[in-house]
Amino acid sequence: MTAEKKPKKGGILGVFKDIVYGMSSHEMTRYAVRSRASMEHLFILITMGDLLGVPILPPYYSLRLLPYVTPQISSWKRRMLRERDITDVLG
Amino acid sequence: MSLRTVFESQPERRYIMFGGKGGLGKTTLSATCAFWLASQGKRVLLFSVDPQASLSDIFQKDIFGKGPVPIIQNLWAQEVDADRRIKDYQEEIRKKILDMYGFDRVPEEIDNYIAAASAEPAMEESAIFDAVVDIVVQGNYDYYIYDLVPLGHALYYLSMAKVYDEWINKITKLREDMRQYDQVAATMRREETLEEDKILSELIYIKDRINASSRILTDKRRTAFFFVVVPEEMIILDTRKAAELFSKFDVPISGYVVNRVLPPDLGAGNIPQYLKNRIAMQQKYMRDIEATLGAQVLAHVPEMERDITGLGMIERLAKRLFEEGAA
Repeated sequence: MTAEKKPKKGGILGVFKDIVYGMSSHEMTRYAVRSRASMEHLFILITMGDLLGVPILPPYYSLRLLPYVTPQISSWKRRMLRERDITDVLG
Repeated sequence: MSLRTVFESQPERRYIMFGGKGGLGKTTLSATCAFWLASQGKRVLLFSVDPQASLSDIFQKDIFGKGPVPIIQNLWAQEVDADRRIKDYQEEIRKKILDMYGFDRVPEEIDNYIAAASAEPAMEESAIFDAVVDIVVQGNYDYYIYDLVPLGHALYYLSMAKVYDEWINKITKLREDMRQYDQVAATMRREETLEEDKILSELIYIKDRINASSRILTDKRRTAFFFVVVPEEMIILDTRKAAELFSKFDVPISGYVVNRVLPPDLGAGNIPQYLKNRIAMQQKYMRDIEATLGAQVLAHVPEMERDITGLGMIERLAKRLFEEGAA
């Protein structure tokens, strides 16, 4: 991208390094950063759910609803916990 | 106005609460008031949800977790056992899951969740909340006297009604929106009928209960909230703060009862300096109370010569408070 404008410091070796980084590690870094971000989001969801309209339930009443969602619980958990977000679907 | 005229002039009152810091005599006054109303021929339920409830102690009878127990004619007392209630409730939920899906046993993941939810401190609070709603919505009694736990808890309880109400409104709305999508999908698939949303029905039920409770608490016509104070600086300051908080929750404060008043003629006798100082101090705070609360003070309760336990003592205090004008 900006390789031509860069000072000659790294020279051809620097460009090569960048290319290798782009081919190998960049994807992994992106993945890690994204995982981190989605975990961060999950954490916020659990602790601050109220801010997004995900209420912190009064437990006595949430138990009352439990029987109705029992069959969906494991798939819901899988879905909430899998490390994918909307950008995975779009990209 | 005296405590007696307050009751006689407000025949629509059904829910009576005494609030105040711990150890000021809320239970004593609740019991006395319940006793007097019962002796006037009203059907009275005196109840407590405090795990350290002292109704058993004051009536000298073990009533913990036994439902409404008759004390004298027209008077029942009840101490709710929250732990028992939570255990029964967990069982009920498990049974419902088994029945609904024909399982032999509750899936482990679900069972763990039930256990974890019940271990939360909020579980006890919300179970207690529900127990109170259970009691007050029955409508079998002329008066419900709620022996509240100390102030902090009372405020927590009151604020909880508000929080729950908001929560449930939010989630019910969400569910209704979901329902609309179901409706659209059903129409596109040309399905004639849409299955009833059981979760929505449950939510509406929960909402009704919470609303019933907060409606009662803030109903000036049917609910009376009395504060118990004693003539001591800290207590007066704390009570003032609490009264401000209560008014934020629209809880109608109907008056104050000053407890533990030393007999003023005591000071006239030949008594040690220590007692003289105590009496002088109390009189100073009595004037403070008079200046700030004035006509809102409905009764002064004398410091008795012994603890108030047992029906005999309660009867004596009731006479003193309601019959003799209680100066």
